Amino acid sequence: MAHEGGITVEGLTVRQPETGRTLLSEVSFDVAPGESLAIVGESGSGKSLTVRATLGLLPRGLDATGRVVIDGVRVDDDPRARARQRGGVVSLLMQDPFTLLNPLRRVGRQIADGLPKGADARTEVPRLLAEVGLPADVAGRYPFQLSGGMRQRVGLAAALAGGPRVLVADEPTTALDATTQREVLALVRRVQRDRGMAFVLITHDLRLAFSTCDRVMVMYAGRIMETGGAGAVRDEQLHPYTRALLAAEPPADRRLAVIPAVPGSVPAHDAVAERCAFAARCSLAVPDCLATRPEPLAVRPGRLSACLRAAELPARPAPAPGVAPGPPVTAAPLLDLRDLRRSFAGAVRPALDGVSLTVAPGEVVGVVGESGSGKTTLARCVAGLERPDAGTVTLDGMDCSDYGRLGRTAVRQARRTAQMIFQDPYSTLNPARTIGATLAEALRADGRPASPGDVARLLGSVGLSRDMAGVRPAGLSGGERQRVAIARAVAGEPRLLICDEPVSALDVSVQAQILALLSDLRERLSMAMLFITHDLAVVRQVADRLYVLEAGRCVETGPADRVLDAPSHPYTRTLLSSVPTGSPNWLS
Amino acid sequence: MRPGWLRAPVSVAVALLVLVLAAVAAAFAPWIVPGATAQDLILGISGPGPGHPLGTDDLGRDVLSLLVAGARTAVPGALCVAVGSMVVGNLAGLPAGYLGGWVDALVMRWADLVFSLPALLVAIVVAGVLGGGYGLAIVVLVVLFAPTDTRVVRGAVLEQRHRPYVEAARMKNLSAWRIMTRHVWPNIAPVALANVFLNFAYALVSLASLSFLGLGVAAGSPDWGRTLSDNRTQFLANPWTVIAPGLAIIAVAAALNIVGDWLYERVDARGRAR
Amino acid sequence: MAGRNRDTSPPDGESQEAHDRVQGDGSPGDVLGGGPGGVFQGDASGERAQDDGPGEDPQGGGSGGGARGSGWGGFLGRRLLGTAVVVVLVSVGVFCLLYLAPGSVQQTLLGTRPATPETVAAIQARYHLDEPLPVQYLTWLGGVLRGDLGVSIRTGSPVADMIGERLPLTLALTGYGTLLAVLVGVPLGIAGAVRRGRATDRFVVTAGVVGLSAPPFAVGLLLLVVFAAWLGWFPVYGTGEGLVDRIWHLTLPAAALAVGAIGMLVRFSRAALIRELDQDYVVFARARGLGGAGALAYALRNSLVPILTAAGLVVTGMLAGTVLVEVTFALPGLGSLLVDSVTFKDVPVVQALALLLTLLIAAVNLLVDVGYSLADPRVRLGGRTS
Repeated sequence: MAHEGGITVEGLTVRQPETGRTLLSEVSFDVAPGESLAIVGESGSGKSLTVRATLGLLPRGLDATGRVVIDGVRVDDDPRARARQRGGVVSLLMQDPFTLLNPLRRVGRQIADGLPKGADARTEVPRLLAEVGLPADVAGRYPFQLSGGMRQRVGLAAALAGGPRVLVADEPTTALDATTQREVLALVRRVQRDRGMAFVLITHDLRLAFSTCDRVMVMYAGRIMETGGAGAVRDEQLHPYTRALLAAEPPADRRLAVIPAVPGSVPAHDAVAERCAFAARCSLAVPDCLATRPEPLAVRPGRLSACLRAAELPARPAPAPGVAPGPPVTAAPLLDLRDLRRSFAGAVRPALDGVSLTVAPGEVVGVVGESGSGKTTLARCVAGLERPDAGTVTLDGMDCSDYGRLGRTAVRQARRTAQMIFQDPYSTLNPARTIGATLAEALRADGRPASPGDVARLLGSVGLSRDMAGVRPAGLSGGERQRVAIARAVAGEPRLLICDEPVSALDVSVQAQILALLSDLRERLSMAMLFITHDLAVVRQVADRLYVLEAGRCVETGPADRVLDAPSHPYTRTLLSSVPTGSPNWLS
Repeated sequence: MRPGWLRAPVSVAVALLVLVLAAVAAAFAPWIVPGATAQDLILGISGPGPGHPLGTDDLGRDVLSLLVAGARTAVPGALCVAVGSMVVGNLAGLPAGYLGGWVDALVMRWADLVFSLPALLVAIVVAGVLGGGYGLAIVVLVVLFAPTDTRVVRGAVLEQRHRPYVEAARMKNLSAWRIMTRHVWPNIAPVALANVFLNFAYALVSLASLSFLGLGVAAGSPDWGRTLSDNRTQFLANPWTVIAPGLAIIAVAAALNIVGDWLYERVDARGRAR
Repeated sequence: MAGRNRDTSPPDGESQEAHDRVQGDGSPGDVLGGGPGGVFQGDASGERAQDDGPGEDPQGGGSGGGARGSGWGGFLGRRLLGTAVVVVLVSVGVFCLLYLAPGSVQQTLLGTRPATPETVAAIQARYHLDEPLPVQYLTWLGGVLRGDLGVSIRTGSPVADMIGERLPLTLALTGYGTLLAVLVGVPLGIAGAVRRGRATDRFVVTAGVVGLSAPPFAVGLLLLVVFAAWLGWFPVYGTGEGLVDRIWHLTLPAAALAVGAIGMLVRFSRAALIRELDQDYVVFARARGLGGAGALAYALRNSLVPILTAAGLVVTGMLAGTVLVEVTFALPGLGSLLVDSVTFKDVPVVQALALLLTLLIAAVNLLVDVGYSLADPRVRLGGRTS
């Protein structure tokens, strides 16, 4: 099967000869002209490797085997044919708009560089810019003069310059804000339909895939789990992994009592080479799942599933009903921010422009906003890592606006009252110290006993085994590191936990585990939480009350369900409409 | 899989061998070649021959023995400079990077000033006007090298300072001193170590240059740079008088650079892999 | 690397600032080494933190091009000011050399001349040794600014004349050496980057390290042994008559001078090109059909700025190297004059030479920074990188 203008991949396998590892095995798919396919997976699923190998753009040190036919030409063993096809037949749009353009070349010229021979740049460049919704004068700018969304549009124009028949987009909107993401995706899909291109979208977000593409292919640990039409997969998943992935994605429209988390984390391909890759985490696994490697087989027309029990999967449980957030707390606030202001040198406008906020004891307060809204600066001011220019921070009745002016005892008390967890699990722990040393130090700093037994108990309280004490962070997965970071923060049982995007760098299945852990700890320690996030679906699950920040100002506040169900400010409504719903109408 | 240090490329293995040889020569020269500076004025300069594999210089000293003995002044002095400047660099760069503010401004303005001067020229002028000497040359070089190390350490600290693990330590109310020494420093120590090797190489070359100009060790000492200088008009009679010490300087400096580069790469690779 | 490029690093924080901007992601630019090290090696800073995506930029929204406050004019102004401060401080240091020399100042200035009333009076008239130090400094500086560099203690002739006689040779030697270094070093570095990891690259890297480790005097003597004594292709000593003969005579000295610079340029240009080749925009350029040559052209163009910067900075390293080369080859240039004067404690000559060389180096550094900033639109247009 070799479509004119389409793409067919059979048995694609990627190896690293130096180490003998296999990263991707037996991946097959095809996309017809005008059709769109979303390849969905968590990190380590091999989704990016799949397209890189398909396009012959693997990083050095990796080898691919398998049959690749693009536009009716077999290219996997023919580098020259690949080179001829790039731009004119197949083009790639990459993830990070901040690095994909040549920083020292005007964008008009960069677009013109990809035009076919003989095309007139003076007419073609403005036409391409118009196609991606940019004015013609953008051509004279340098990339650093454009916003992220504009850069990604320029990237699309450049990718389209050669008139490709196949367009591949590798997480094209992951680095963008939610509102920009929706605009750019809508643009990409419109252009793809107008031009009748075959389209492959790489994404980690199942709902986004459902809304954007005709068909969906779900990958896990370097293998295909399930494929099918977007609507069909949305309505009925024929692989437990797809099911679990979808269930772990929190909904934005209601609060769940418990988010169904998947235990464990994504394994390496070779660790599960001869069995079902998902078996170890699967609630439906039977002994056979560990004995053989299930191949993706057609369960019904147009539907493949690599599950031994695909035909006998129990019916999907009905969606869990929503629960109400905690009742409003009326006690005197534990944290009281008044008219907080903070500017940074060289910035166009202040990061915080007069924000007031309260957190009552035991209450979870969400702060929502996009990049540049000032939410992280807010968290850092509360934590004393940043000093506000004006305004007051009152923590448990004590003025903590400037930690530099507090006495030693006051600082110690403030630090024991409020603790913080950070976004990036990879740099949140000191790589040079063992987990045990990190936690023992935290216990001592908080004035608690710090014997190995105490450390083991602390590890247990975040769901980690005591053996981890001797390990260094490099030996832990992202989710495990975030658990250690949480243990470090709660070692002294603080009354307020500041969470700065604690789950946004994690995979969906791990995110659900961490959210469950946080909610569990909150109940056990009756902590209050200040939860900073860009993700409305996540904040819906945790917050009692919400503050919506835009450009350093608070535009809306209220109980979480009121703000999210009946937003009063247009910005909140825009944010809400930017959350992928999985419906095909989401982009229109 | 072999452990990391065993997977060193061949060039690094060769470089380490050269360094071991140089270290042995520097440590045990008086026992290996007891009479290295013994003169034989009657013999004078002669080409390679029995008893003198690399010939003799114009004072009749054995070139091979001088080569071995030369390591004793060339290598330890350079090591002092490299270690000394790194100690200064750590003491200045760690607080400058971590504390910032006026401490940083002060340290960096000092570093900028010294940095804008060509080290070797300043060393020549200062050592020359003060009258030269081995100890003086070392002190001058430490002063001139320290700003680079300060910058390296400060840069590495700045990179760590805003990492969440440092901020978490601040949140735990640990003292700045403890965070600097127990949290930040272990993570920048590999960079500092790599830099010691690179500085070592540059110090070796600089000290040899000063000796060559007569501003380092005393005349007649079996130092590589000095030997080159003493024999720079004699090479027509016995070319080995300049080839041997010249190659020795280049080989040891190159070996240090290769090891230093290799260490840097490993730090880098580790940073990328996280 | 930082240790080696000591002589060739940008002089102060301002140029560091320019380099930081070019890094373009707000993280500290001087990660592993100051100066060019930061630019060429900046892997760690080039890496975008994982949390950049949906996270938050405390500087505000993404759109650049807004803040022009610290634009190019400001950059240039600060650079000029910095250079001026360095030159003034160095002039103070140079003046103090007189007091650093062992023995009394008067003795130093007398040199080997007898201390007769006339000689002492002459020194007094010139140096005002009984005035306070600042006055002495200003008197001396005034003379320097009028072109009066004093009289050599050793030869008794005006220092300005001595320098004038020898300057052309040193400049010719530096120019010749720079030319050789650029013509050999940059292409080698590019070849290494393009064929990264293969035999060519390993050769280039090893050659670069050896070149970098070789002091000019050792190289010079080895070149003399091989090319002058054994092969007889080049003269042993002398400067030659007429242009061709002069070039022939200066070839070995220039080569000795160039070897270290070649090592440095190989390393810088290779690292700069590799860094660019690893960037997303090169992959993107390939992916949309710009072909190997087109993508390489992107990377070459973008690495050219740091490569040329390095080439400019190499010049300043060479000025120091000429001292060693001129002594090795017994050439009558500024370097050998400096060594002779230093050995003889001929302080007025040393002062003049130190000041001149500092000025030359400061000028080259300034030119390099200005060129650098002009070539990069992010500095030139004063935009913030977001």
